[in-house]
Amino acid sequence: MMKKMMSLILAAAMVFALTACGGDKPASTADGTDGTKETIKIGGIGPLTGDYANYGISVKQGAEIAVKEINAAGGIAGQQIELSFQDSQGDAESAVNAYGKLLDWGMKISMGCVFSGEMATVCAAAKDDDIMLLTPSGSSDNILDSNDKAFRVCFNDGYQGVMAANYIKEKNITDKVAVLYQSDYDYSTGLYESFKKGCEENGIEIVEVQTFTESTKTDFTTQINKLLAADVKLIFIPIYAEPASTFLTQAKGKFGDDVYFFGADGLDGILEKVAQDVTIANNVLMMTPFAADNSDAKVQAFVKAYQEAYNGATPDQFAADGYDAVYILKAAMEKAGSSSGAAMAKAMLELEITGVTGTMKWTADGNTQKNAMAIIYKDGTGSLFGQ
Amino acid sequence: MIEFIKTLISGLGLGSIYALIALGYTMVYGIAKMLNFAHGDVIMVGAYAGIVAFTSAGLPPVFTVFLSVLVCTLLGVTIEHFAYKPLRGASSLSVLITAIGMSYLLQNLALMIFGSQQKAYPQYVKLGQVSLGAVTVDGITLLTLGVTACIMVGMSLFINRTKLGKAMRAVAEDRGAAELMGISVDRTIALTFAIGSALAAVASMCYGLTYVYIKPTTGAMPGIKAFTAAVFGGIGSLPGAMLGGIALGVIEQMAKTYISPLWADAIVFAVLVLVLVVRPTGLLGKEIQEKV
Amino acid sequence: MGRAKELLKNKNAVTLIALAAAYAVVAWMLYSGHITRQFTNMIIPMSMYIVLAVSLNLVVGFLGELNLGHAGFMSVGLFTGCLLSISLADKLPLIARLPLCMLVGGICAGLFGFAVGMPALRLKGDYLAIVTLACGEIVKNIITNLNVTGGARGLNTQPIYSGAKALLPYAVVLVFLTVIVMMHIKKSKQGRAIMAIRDNRIAAESIGLNVTYYKLTVFIIAAFFAGAAGALYGHYFANVKAVTFDYNMSIEILVIVVLGGMGSVRGSVIAAVVLQALPEIFRDFGDYRMLIYAVVLILAMLLTNSPRLAPLRQKLSSVRLGKAKETGGENHGTA
Repeated sequence: MMKKMMSLILAAAMVFALTACGGDKPASTADGTDGTKETIKIGGIGPLTGDYANYGISVKQGAEIAVKEINAAGGIAGQQIELSFQDSQGDAESAVNAYGKLLDWGMKISMGCVFSGEMATVCAAAKDDDIMLLTPSGSSDNILDSNDKAFRVCFNDGYQGVMAANYIKEKNITDKVAVLYQSDYDYSTGLYESFKKGCEENGIEIVEVQTFTESTKTDFTTQINKLLAADVKLIFIPIYAEPASTFLTQAKGKFGDDVYFFGADGLDGILEKVAQDVTIANNVLMMTPFAADNSDAKVQAFVKAYQEAYNGATPDQFAADGYDAVYILKAAMEKAGSSSGAAMAKAMLELEITGVTGTMKWTADGNTQKNAMAIIYKDGTGSLFGQ
Repeated sequence: MIEFIKTLISGLGLGSIYALIALGYTMVYGIAKMLNFAHGDVIMVGAYAGIVAFTSAGLPPVFTVFLSVLVCTLLGVTIEHFAYKPLRGASSLSVLITAIGMSYLLQNLALMIFGSQQKAYPQYVKLGQVSLGAVTVDGITLLTLGVTACIMVGMSLFINRTKLGKAMRAVAEDRGAAELMGISVDRTIALTFAIGSALAAVASMCYGLTYVYIKPTTGAMPGIKAFTAAVFGGIGSLPGAMLGGIALGVIEQMAKTYISPLWADAIVFAVLVLVLVVRPTGLLGKEIQEKV
Repeated sequence: MGRAKELLKNKNAVTLIALAAAYAVVAWMLYSGHITRQFTNMIIPMSMYIVLAVSLNLVVGFLGELNLGHAGFMSVGLFTGCLLSISLADKLPLIARLPLCMLVGGICAGLFGFAVGMPALRLKGDYLAIVTLACGEIVKNIITNLNVTGGARGLNTQPIYSGAKALLPYAVVLVFLTVIVMMHIKKSKQGRAIMAIRDNRIAAESIGLNVTYYKLTVFIIAAFFAGAAGALYGHYFANVKAVTFDYNMSIEILVIVVLGGMGSVRGSVIAAVVLQALPEIFRDFGDYRMLIYAVVLILAMLLTNSPRLAPLRQKLSSVRLGKAKETGGENHGTA
């Protein structure tokens, strides 16, 4: 009886599940035919829950600010835009499903995914759709290869690491560095490899390389011992904010006051992670194309709007990427004159856009190059390095 | 040489946390004959209790520790009563699956309540660093070692010298016979869970003070490694848990220093597999005859 | 007419017919375009989870041993199969390449299952479960640290990426193969031997059953199907990382097996579909998914295995007129 009931419930659930998935065909709205009232639907995918939720939420909030501004200014070619941001928890399988859901919803343009892994698979799945994909923050090198309508707002890892090395040379910080990176994470290894290349080009010597993994990211004692023994003035940490906070907490007071911890965009949000004692993040240098205290008028307007919308929270780089992504999509669509992916992709190659993350131009492989600055943290506030 | 000593000491610190957790595992396994997969997550709950007590409620450190012990003890007994007790006599497979379910339940409840972002454990004990010749040691590492050693001695005395301890040994030896001798098996097992969970609370304090950041998944990895330690030392044996925990901690840190952090996990798990295959009873465990 | 009735009495036949009908509908919807994109994207993962759950059921439900490294087996098959597929990408068309890669992936996973199953010579119960968990983690660690598998950045499977339309026929074949093999094993002499080992190992040994042989065979078969599924699954992604196939994924498969009923092939199939579809429908409740899984695991175990609830279960099953037979799952012998 029990088993029978159970299987009945299960079977009922299955029928319900299948009808719910397969049932609702994308409904074309009645008033969409004349083209005046229909909104342009933009879809985004990223982790809104789970370990990396902060990155997805930042992108989403930044994008929402841009959507609000554009709609207030009359939309794109008279049409209002609408953003739907789906949660993927950073998982590729879930992201592909979310992409499907967005298509069913009527998405015309995609903001791609926040993370590289999910972006790679969504790009492949979207190969035959006439949809342009613009990832705000997916930085891994080869993820856009399978789709010629895929672009990114951020740097790619292969470029960012080299740039970090250039920056060290340019600012004449040191010529002997150590590295700590997460060996089982694509972002971290990608950055490390390109940093290594950049160091060779600039004659910077990497004297010590330490690694950790997802399951050993709680204990950095042995790594700190080795990094201390290396006796360098700069430690490159191309890792995410969460392991970085653990590392910095355990390293606090052990390194000299003149030792910099140099990281890239993944470090965004480090201050919130060490909120119980912000001095832990002292001497952290973060390379970013976006600094909230940049005096540029556009940046300041964005920061102000963001703070007003989200209880005084200061936007990080991911929020800025999300914000820029929406404006770039707008520009591409206006240039192309339609929301067709192929037309927009073609238009992308002719665009030059100055957003809050700098001035960007794109190559056919979807990558962009722009300038970077570095922010240094001291007692809970970040300021531009070298000023 | 200095590097070696430093590694050894950090291994001892990590190992003593494993040992504390392993004590709980080994007691429960020895007496209730079940693998309490949720044990690691009890530590996570204890740590969150500490955060709430100190940071949110502003309790003094002594009460913080007391509250976290209380919460864990109650949790342990509750879990045992509602999830494990009804399955006494059922196959070990169903008990293990229930325990896994319980582990997930605790993790996801914590996720719901505290969110996925890490929280900082209050550093209410500030010990700084101690210099021993050329080597500096974190005070907290020494504290953990001391606490673990004291608990080990205390537990051994309790098990070997008191009436309740005797009852526990009797239940571990032969449940049916113990019952015939007038020992309440249910109560003894509940007591075992209470003690094991209280130890988990102490472990959560040491963990929090050493590693600071707590997440809903904090307990999972240390839990699995502590189980490895318990098996390594010989499951059911208290000194074995201590020895296994310390040994595993040292092996892990040595592997990280002299081989590579890349392989540290694989090495720890390979140790587990090797021990189980070569000597399933562990270093100090007894050979158990299978009964028909 | 009489034959049809007889066929309907055969539970396995009914399951197979229903499954075939379901796939026929799905295929028609997919190839004629009467389908949403969200559903399209779910077909292949669903099929893969069916294979994984049914094969894990062989270990957990039939043999009565807990395997916490099933995702690791899948991972082995996925990476070997996909590496082969990438190297053959421009030499062989999908129709020849994919079955070959699934076979190779399955065999590699089977070999790995053999290696993991070896401790079964000495271990049982909780210890064996922990060894499978450890082996799953070791595999994850090794694949992540190898260069040939793309290391941390994951294997770039863009050259062999295929969509749902291309992969569906292979997925259907694999699902049917798995289901039929499992059904056959369950009915066969070997299957009864395996279940005898589960119910009472010592008694089974005493009548001369080679426990080690059966245990190893079960491990290898389950690993083979998980590996074959992995090889196919890899073609559905543009980038695969070993860290995806961790302990949590093994637990997810276990939840399917437990919910569907241990030892029940049909139950695993239905539960796999339901547990894959529900999170998609309730996307916004993503956080609750694992919480619900946990509750399901605990309740299912308490309701079906608690000796205290045995009278209640008996009462319920006696209501079922004339159908008091015990199948899989319930009453797994004595501890």
